[in-house]
Amino acid sequence: MPKTLLKAVSGAVVLGALLALPRYVESPYALHMMILLFLSVSQGQSWNILGGYAGQHSVGHAAYFGVGAYTTMMLMHTWQIAPWFGVWFGMALVVVVALAIGSICFRLRGPYFVLASIAVAEILRLSAINLTTLTNGAEGILATDLPAFRIGGRVVTEFLTKVPFYYIGLVLALLTLAITYWVQHSKLGYFLQAIREDQDAAHSLGISISRYKNIALVISAVLTSLAGSFYGIYVGFVDPPTVLGLDVSVQIMLICIIGGMGTLWGPVLGALVLVPLSEALRSNLITEALVQVGLVSAESRVGLFLKENLAHAHVLLYGILVVLVILFMPEGLMGFVRKLASRRKREA
Amino acid sequence: MAVFMQSLISGILIGGVYALIGIGLTLIFGVMRVINFGHGDILMVGMYLTYLLFTYLGIDPFVSVLITFPLMFLFGGFLQKVFINRVLNAAAQNQILLTIGLGLIMSNTVMLIFTSDYKILSTSYSSATIQVGGGVSVSTPLLISFLITAGITAALYWFLLKTDTGQAIRATAQDREAAQLMGINVKRMSILAFGLGSALAGTAGALIAPTYYIFPQVGAVFTLKAFVITVLGGMGSVVGATLGGILIGITESMSAVYISSGWKDVVVFVLFLLVLLFRPSGLMGKSRT
Repeated sequence: MPKTLLKAVSGAVVLGALLALPRYVESPYALHMMILLFLSVSQGQSWNILGGYAGQHSVGHAAYFGVGAYTTMMLMHTWQIAPWFGVWFGMALVVVVALAIGSICFRLRGPYFVLASIAVAEILRLSAINLTTLTNGAEGILATDLPAFRIGGRVVTEFLTKVPFYYIGLVLALLTLAITYWVQHSKLGYFLQAIREDQDAAHSLGISISRYKNIALVISAVLTSLAGSFYGIYVGFVDPPTVLGLDVSVQIMLICIIGGMGTLWGPVLGALVLVPLSEALRSNLITEALVQVGLVSAESRVGLFLKENLAHAHVLLYGILVVLVILFMPEGLMGFVRKLASRRKREA
Repeated sequence: MAVFMQSLISGILIGGVYALIGIGLTLIFGVMRVINFGHGDILMVGMYLTYLLFTYLGIDPFVSVLITFPLMFLFGGFLQKVFINRVLNAAAQNQILLTIGLGLIMSNTVMLIFTSDYKILSTSYSSATIQVGGGVSVSTPLLISFLITAGITAALYWFLLKTDTGQAIRATAQDREAAQLMGINVKRMSILAFGLGSALAGTAGALIAPTYYIFPQVGAVFTLKAFVITVLGGMGSVVGATLGGILIGITESMSAVYISSGWKDVVVFVLFLLVLLFRPSGLMGKSRT
């Protein structure tokens, strides 16, 4: 089986390169980009399990991301509980939240489910703003002093550079990828896909709809909360709009949809496209490139305007991408790639 | 008692504008079965249009409705013809995503042009009030906007019930295929419906411009409110959206007074979830199979 061998070898090479990368790349900016990439992969992949495989398009995943981020940060800030313990509380809380949401939202179908998922996330966001004693309200929680991570008295890392975050991010991304692979190839995955394709048919075949939807939701929510906790401790700051806002839900969903729902590599592809593009906009690389090429003069009104404003409007790009993807490749990039591949095969 | 009457009256007044937003969304849903997630952003475009007309041409926001309504109608028709029309038969999630994408484009383009600063449109009567008696006073701009809303809603009912085009729109909403078989140009009705829905949202934007902060992200709040209103009234029901709007207005203003203004939106969303759970077809909706 040369094809499987090829896959295994290329996988091992990529993994090895990723593991070795911090040894050779010292630029904190490059590491930061990689960490964002890992975070996006794990967000998109978590959403994929519920949205892609089970077909339940939640537009409220900020709820789980935010609960994970907030719990870890609150425990660290108020009670000095180290994040590697706090994370577990976050996950436990998210399971409770997810089951509560599931029991409400899974009675509803299609657009009603989407609306309910948004409403729940909004209730959590508004609560985070209003419960000032617990969450510090709209000001958010700032907690950047991470304790050193020790195993048996030996200090493993003190989190002084971005390298430990890089490895945590990598593990997180690989974990979500592995769980998605497992879901895809297990009985659970087949049940979920049956529910996605035809809920009534699946029900008549004896698949317990609400049970498997809830299982998918809990897996997806727990992984999203892990990503949230990681985001919180990496950035060192959480506030309601950045971890619980509607934008967060939309961005999580977009990674998966642009890449391709219900596919193992879709969210990876989506993250590979979205992260560099939005970072390029955010850091004004695009304006600088336009100036370099000579299309726009740096001192002209257009140049100054772009420099001033383009960085704030990186979400515009998300909008344009979504519209293009939905109109021209509704199966996402993965679907597009597959179509190209099958066309080439036919021609050969 | 005065406090109660006061919050009841201001709830009804703001509810009138909410009704306009909800009717727009419900019209679009009724005719096309598409939930417009960019509805609030269309309202936001209407707000900025009003702001521009006021700042550069000195046109009073309430007079500018005469300009905003037709312009937003054309804008909505354009959105329908170029974008929404292509996904009418696509999966529901793709329709939702497309409208989310369009909303993001609208809000971020506006942000690119006007920056995300809060703008205030202050007229001579922005903070004026009228004493009604019994210690109850009414905000003048809210009262004017309510009267305009009532006028537009009445005209809309007349249009939908009495004119041929209005009946064709209702027929399309009832059964798209049957309407097509009866010789109704369904595509044209869709453009009309999206245009009308956008015009109503834009008008609502114009009407609240004198009393609200104007900023690019203002739409998200109204998109969510529009959902709550239409689901409460029953998706696709114009009467339901009218009642739903007023009901949400009253709920908001009551909970702002008796609970706290920070929690008023939470109350609305909890109400929304309860309706979804116990009466998903809404107050006026027929139960769906």
